[in-house]
Amino acid sequence: MEALLMQYPWLDELLMGFLGLSFKHVVMWGIGALLIFLAVKYDYEPALLLPIGFGAVLANIPHSSATSTHPGEEGFLIVLYQAGIANELFPVLIFVAIGAMCDFAPLIRRPSVMLFAAAAQFGIFATAVGATLLGFSFEHAASIGIIGAADGPTTIYVASRFAVELLGPLSVAAYCYMSLVPVIQPPVIKAVTTENERKIKMGFMGEEPVSQTTKFLFPIMIVLIAGIVAPISVALIGSLMFGNILKESGVVENLSNCAQNELANLVTLVLGITIGGTMTAERFLNFEVLLIMALGAVAFVFDTIGGVLFAKLLNMFSTTKINPMIGACGISAFPMSGRVIAKMALKEDPTNFIIQHAIGVNVAGQVASVVAGGLVLALIPALAK
Amino acid sequence: MPAATTKALTMMAIALPTMFAVIAVFMVATTALHKAFPAEVEEEED
Repeated sequence: MEALLMQYPWLDELLMGFLGLSFKHVVMWGIGALLIFLAVKYDYEPALLLPIGFGAVLANIPHSSATSTHPGEEGFLIVLYQAGIANELFPVLIFVAIGAMCDFAPLIRRPSVMLFAAAAQFGIFATAVGATLLGFSFEHAASIGIIGAADGPTTIYVASRFAVELLGPLSVAAYCYMSLVPVIQPPVIKAVTTENERKIKMGFMGEEPVSQTTKFLFPIMIVLIAGIVAPISVALIGSLMFGNILKESGVVENLSNCAQNELANLVTLVLGITIGGTMTAERFLNFEVLLIMALGAVAFVFDTIGGVLFAKLLNMFSTTKINPMIGACGISAFPMSGRVIAKMALKEDPTNFIIQHAIGVNVAGQVASVVAGGLVLALIPALAK
Repeated sequence: MPAATTKALTMMAIALPTMFAVIAVFMVATTALHKAFPAEVEEEED
């Protein structure tokens, strides 16, 4: 073959795709195809897994122009990476879109639900400890733990700062497990609760309706408090609340709609394919990635346990009992977690409607996961010194 | 114990209580805000 290439140098140009192909590339095509299959067949986070899967295929074609790093000939996935991931722009824009979609009224009506959301962040820190025991560096372990926030943009934001080389697997793990909430949470909840606890009914005593002024001032208040506690979290919480104030102000309906639709769709589209573009065989096919996928599941399990056990702890001291299942909704997978838990309650007792409480905790999970992300962002550089 | 594990445990020991403290401040502030601007009857009907 080499002699042939020496004789006909132009053959090298023609056959470089074939010549550069390896078994690892084909495996990565399979992984890309699997992500596309999960998105199309089972509707698992299709808006992200489909572009990620396709990006993974593009990144694993030998000498792919989509991921070329030759100066002056950078591939479009590299350009997108530099433009939106390396500088953390895409996750921040996604937060603007999420904020515009959020209705914090259930949380404002019952602020105590935020406690469950705080407890449900336990998985982040427990997983980080576990990851260090498996040999990951502190920065990488903390970035793996943040999968437990069940918040894709926060995961990407933290990973792009402290674990760039793990960005692909971390993002895939975060989004895969978010879509697997209906599979992961119910058995874990059943394992740590009794049937009687799952049948506890919750009322709506003393819950006043929320005024428009309160809804409008709420995002400003949250940004100021979170910003003062962890200034590094301002980009995340600030963009989330900016999106929300667009919606609640009521005077920029077109901007709010744009954030909820065009912005969300456009950034999701480029975010997904760009992350897929980072999933090269060299980075993805190693034992570390298998560990990350396993640790991601552990993070979700610990989140669920943390939230449920905290609710059970409160029940020990309170006369008004809480259905401990709502503690599990404190993760950021909104509204899936809230719906899953509400369905579980109905399955136990067809007259037990806890959806409003569950959604309230789930909305609080959005805020708590960003606060947790901010604290991790602040503590990694401080402790890594 | 590896140094990374010590750091991760330290992070947990600092972050979890801080998290609850921040959430407690959020709760107090949200309750105060909700009480300061109650929904009017018309708004309620809306």
